[in-house]
Order: sequence, then structure tokens, then C-alpha cells
Amino acid sequence: MKIENQGNSLMISEVDELTAVNSALFRQEVEIALGGAPSVIEINLSQTRFMDSSGLGALFALYRATAQRSDMTLRILNPTPEIQQLLELTQMQQLFEIVRR
Amino acid sequence: MPFTSVEPARPAALRLSFAPNMESAREVSVAIRTFLAEQGVDEKELFSYELCIAEASNNAVEYAKGPSRNLKPIAEALFTPSQIELRVTDHTAGFELPERVPPPLPMTDRGRGLFLIQSVMDEVRYLRGTKENILVMRKKRNAVRPFVPLRLEGSVEPFSVEHYRTERAQSTAQMAKMADELKFRSETLSSVFRCCAELGRIDKVSEGFEGRLLVDLLHLTSADWYVLRMLSPDGRKLLVAAASEQDLASLPIELPSAVNLPSGIEGAVAMSLTPMRFDIRESTDPSEPLRVVGPKGAGLVCPLCFGSTLVGTIAVGRRNGDFPLGKLQDEVIRTFAEFLAIQTLNIRRQKVEVHNRVVARELEIAQNIQHLLLPRTLPQLPGFSLAGGWQSAREVGGDFYDAIAIDGQRLLLMIADVMGKGVPAALFATTMRGLLRGLASRSSDPSQLLSGLNRLLYKELSSVAMFITAQIVLVDLKTRKLTAASAGHCPLLYVPYGRRSVAAMAIQGLPLGVLPDTEYPHVSARLGSPATLLLYTDGLTDTRNQYGKLYGQKRLTSWLRSQVSVGRRRSSS
Repeated sequence: MKIENQGNSLMISEVDELTAVNSALFRQEVEIALGGAPSVIEINLSQTRFMDSSGLGALFALYRATAQRSDMTLRILNPTPEIQQLLELTQMQQLFEIVRR
Repeated sequence: MPFTSVEPARPAALRLSFAPNMESAREVSVAIRTFLAEQGVDEKELFSYELCIAEASNNAVEYAKGPSRNLKPIAEALFTPSQIELRVTDHTAGFELPERVPPPLPMTDRGRGLFLIQSVMDEVRYLRGTKENILVMRKKRNAVRPFVPLRLEGSVEPFSVEHYRTERAQSTAQMAKMADELKFRSETLSSVFRCCAELGRIDKVSEGFEGRLLVDLLHLTSADWYVLRMLSPDGRKLLVAAASEQDLASLPIELPSAVNLPSGIEGAVAMSLTPMRFDIRESTDPSEPLRVVGPKGAGLVCPLCFGSTLVGTIAVGRRNGDFPLGKLQDEVIRTFAEFLAIQTLNIRRQKVEVHNRVVARELEIAQNIQHLLLPRTLPQLPGFSLAGGWQSAREVGGDFYDAIAIDGQRLLLMIADVMGKGVPAALFATTMRGLLRGLASRSSDPSQLLSGLNRLLYKELSSVAMFITAQIVLVDLKTRKLTAASAGHCPLLYVPYGRRSVAAMAIQGLPLGVLPDTEYPHVSARLGSPATLLLYTDGLTDTRNQYGKLYGQKRLTSWLRSQVSVGRRRSSS
């Protein structure tokens, strides 16, 4: 997993999978990065092959941690069709801006 | 009548136990995904099944309490083309599975797992027991068949996930090895086929077909040189027939008459017909021919032989001594050697066959010529009857005869035997017949005719070391006088005037083609009544019966005598 700060943006990428095994670690690392108060958080899921409910939980936790800040954009980039379907099934797509580019 | 459909393919199952932690649970869901992928399940479906196993396994780990935390959960997948069933056995206190888990609110943190499972599977049941519970998840595929409950055959002990991982790694390695071997063997085969195809083209037969094959051999065995030696026709030397580089074409190797004499590694292989590995650094023989490959050369020398027939040797190796010859490479070199030996012997046999066909054709031509040589009709003369016969004992001989009526009163008889066979003999016979007909128009004297024929034929006959025996007889029908001359031919048989017995008339004279200028004396006699005269070739008297006994002149004479008495009886009656 890679976390980069680019100006006001926090870019999270190279996540192979987000599951019960690594979701806690994901939460911790992202929480630390949030300390820099970015205005945009982009989670690039193009390389994420698999996600389970724990992974969805980690994304939800991120949403909750930033929910108070109305000026912050939470964006998911290029999820695979399977993960996009998973986000839709659990109505998580309502919480994130899903962008393909 | 309703038709009962049967399962189109055998079911496949995977059953894995795993340590009660999230990492193992994850590993199990990946393993089940891989297993289902191997059954041909597509990518989109795989995601769903992986998700279900992951959710159920995570729950099995997460909700195990107390001593149950040490028990291993089990994950299973049963595949048939019409249904996939997933099961996870847990050791938790269990829970109440509602008919339908409501969709979780987006704002909630938990409770998505069971909802996801129910969303993607057709049927989900949770079987609660006293020590363990089983979550059964089913998904119909192609949705054409009614639900058929699947059972595991017997009670199969589940593999542990570690065991599965090891097995999988082993089988992957095994598959890679087999694929390598298969590739290697198929390359060997295609090389052999290419060579066969080349051999199939007649014009290429025996012309360096080995070269191409040996280049392939180097490629297949990662060798960097070869030396092919062929046994000389006298079987006493091994001559270099081909080598990967010019500098390897060393001198012929003399094969010793005794086994214990030194003749190098190739010589030893040829004598023993046994393959031999070698390393020049281990050789103590300063005259070892394979030293040409360099001071560190190493490799394998194989005999080219079929059965005990030695054809040559093939040496293959690397110049730098590092020649890791595996079992497979060793085998392929031996196979090539065997193939080369068989092909070489085949080519030799083909050559012999072609030669035999040429010879047979030549004999056929010669036979045709010979038939043309013999007179189709013999001259008919008043008061005399004339008969001729010819039969070849085995192959084509150069025997022929002719009868020329000079005028109403005189008859010239000729019989000859060209020493030699085939077309050349037949050609000489044709020439001689033509010459005789020409000469007879000028002279009818047998001595003069033979001298003339000898003069005309000597040069050609002597240049090919052939000769002709011939006999010419002039018969005067009115005076019953016969005049005969012979060029080395067997005696003629006749009944002399005033006698009843058969006499042989042997006349001196060299065969035609022996000396350039030869005189042929003639002998004259008077024929009795009825006139009896027999000209023949030694093909008749030299014939042997099945016991090897000669027919001989004596028997021929008595046969003729019996014919004479039959003739006499006929004329008196």
C-alpha cells in the first residue's frame, strides 16, 4: 500500500486487497495520514483484486472519520467491476464519490 | 416419457481445515478460489465465491470463544457443472440465521457479511450442532436442473491448508518439469521428423542428412561440438564424416584387430558397442583423438549401431568441460545415434536395391535382344528338315544361332556363345550376327568367315575382356558334304556316311577375341542317310540335374542316336 501527500491531496494506492487480514493496518495508516488535514482523499482501487466486509468496514471508518468536515472530498478511483458491485450492493457508493479516469 | 438427465461431468471437491486466525482464513478463501478457477468457473463468479468463503471463515475465526479457539474450522467447495456448494464448519456458539438478512444501512459499521452471502448465493442454511455448526451456501449454475443435494462421498479427512499449499507447490513444480520434458521430447521428435522428410526427397538421399540432425542435437542437449565418424567400407577405420567445426575433423582412427590395443575413446566405443562418457582431463593417452576439442573437453560417445552391426560413432560434448548431461539429454543422444544408424543402414539398403533393380532391368533388356537375335523361321530346303531351339537355364546367356541359305544347294549354319552376361553380351551377339550376314554374302567358307569375324570383333572384345566361341558349318545338300570350322566351340555331333553311329567332330581353333589374327582350320566330312547333324552350346552338356549331375556329351550322343533310329524306322515305313 502506498500513501502520498500531494499538496492538499492524500493519495492512497497500490492496495492489493482489503480484507480482515489488513483492514486494521489500513485504518491505522490512513488515520495517521489524516493528521495533515488534506482537502481531498483519493483511494485508488484499480489494483485492488479483492475486498471483504472488513475492507468495506475500513472504508466506512474512513468516511466516519472525515464526516464532520464538509469541505473534504472522499473519492474512490477506478474500482474493478466486482468491487464496484460490492459497493453498490452495500449502498456504500452513496458515501463516496466513485470516479473512473 | 420424461428423460432423466445425468450430471455431465464428475463432481470435484476440495476440503481444507485451517488454523483459527485471519491469515489462514484468507489463505483458504484464495485456495478455494483457485480450485474453482481450475474447474473453469469464470472471474466474476469467482469473486462471489471467494467473498462468501472469506466472510464465513472470518466469522468462524472471529466468534470462536474459549477452548473452541484451538479447533480448526473447515472450508469446503463442491463443484458440479450445475451447482456450486460452499461449506464452512465453525466451532462457535452459533447464531440464528434469519430467512433474509436485511440490507445494512450505509451508516453502520458491521453486519455486512451474512447479507453479502445471502445476496450472492441462491440458498444459505446454517446447520447448528452441539460441537460444530455448518454454514451451507449453494449457487445453481445454468439454472436448468432441479436442486439435487450433494453429499460428500464417504468421510474424507480434510487436508490442512498447509498440506494443500505444499501439495500445490509440488504439483506446480511437477507440472513445470513435465512441460519442460514434453517440450524437449517434442523438439526431438520434430527434429527426427524433419530429417525423415528430408530423407524422403530422393535427390537428398545420403547427402549430408546427418548435418541438420546433429545441429538440432547440439541445440537440444546444449552441447557445443560433435564429431560423427563412419566405419570405412573395409570395416577397419573410423573416418570423420561430419564435425561441428573444421578443426575437429581429425585423422581416421584405425580399429585394432585386438580389443586391448589403444585406439582412443571412439575406437573403444566402436569395439565394445557401448556408450562412454569422457573428460579429457582424466585421459592419460597423449594421442587421444578427442583432444582436438580442447584440454577441458568433455562429453558422451555413442556407437552408431543396429543390433551388432556397427556403422560409426557420434561424440557430443562441450569444450569447457562443463557438460551437465541429464538423464533426458543422455537418452536423446542415444536415440539420435540409433536413428542415425538405422537411417544410414536404410540408405545403404536402398542403394543396393536400386542397383539390383538396374541389374534386373538390364537383364530384361538383354533377354529381349536375345529373343530378337534368334531367327523366327529357318530356311526350308528340299529333302532336309531344320530345327532350332533355345532355352535359357538361369539368366541371360550370350547363346544364339543362325541359318543362312546361300543358294538352293548350300546352307550355312552358325552357333555361338558370347562369354559374358547382360546387355554387353547381347550387343556383341547382335553385332556378330549382322557381321556374319554381311560376310556370308562374299564368302561361304567357314574358316574365312571365322577369321573375318575375329578380325572385326577382336578390338571391342579384348577391350572388355570378353570372347566368343562359335562354330560355322557349311552343308552342301547335293553332295552331303559338310565343312566346319570352330572358334573354341564344343564338338558338333553327326552320323558319318556309311555308318550308323553318332560321331563327334572336334575342331581346333581359338575363341574370337583372344588373338588379333587367327587362322581357323576347317574339317570336312560326308553325311550319312538320313543326314544327321547337331550343333549345340555347352549350356546343354553342362546342365546339371537336381542332384548336381552333369547332362554331358555322352548322354547327348545317345539321345541323338535314338533320334536317328526313330528317323530310320519312319523312312523305311
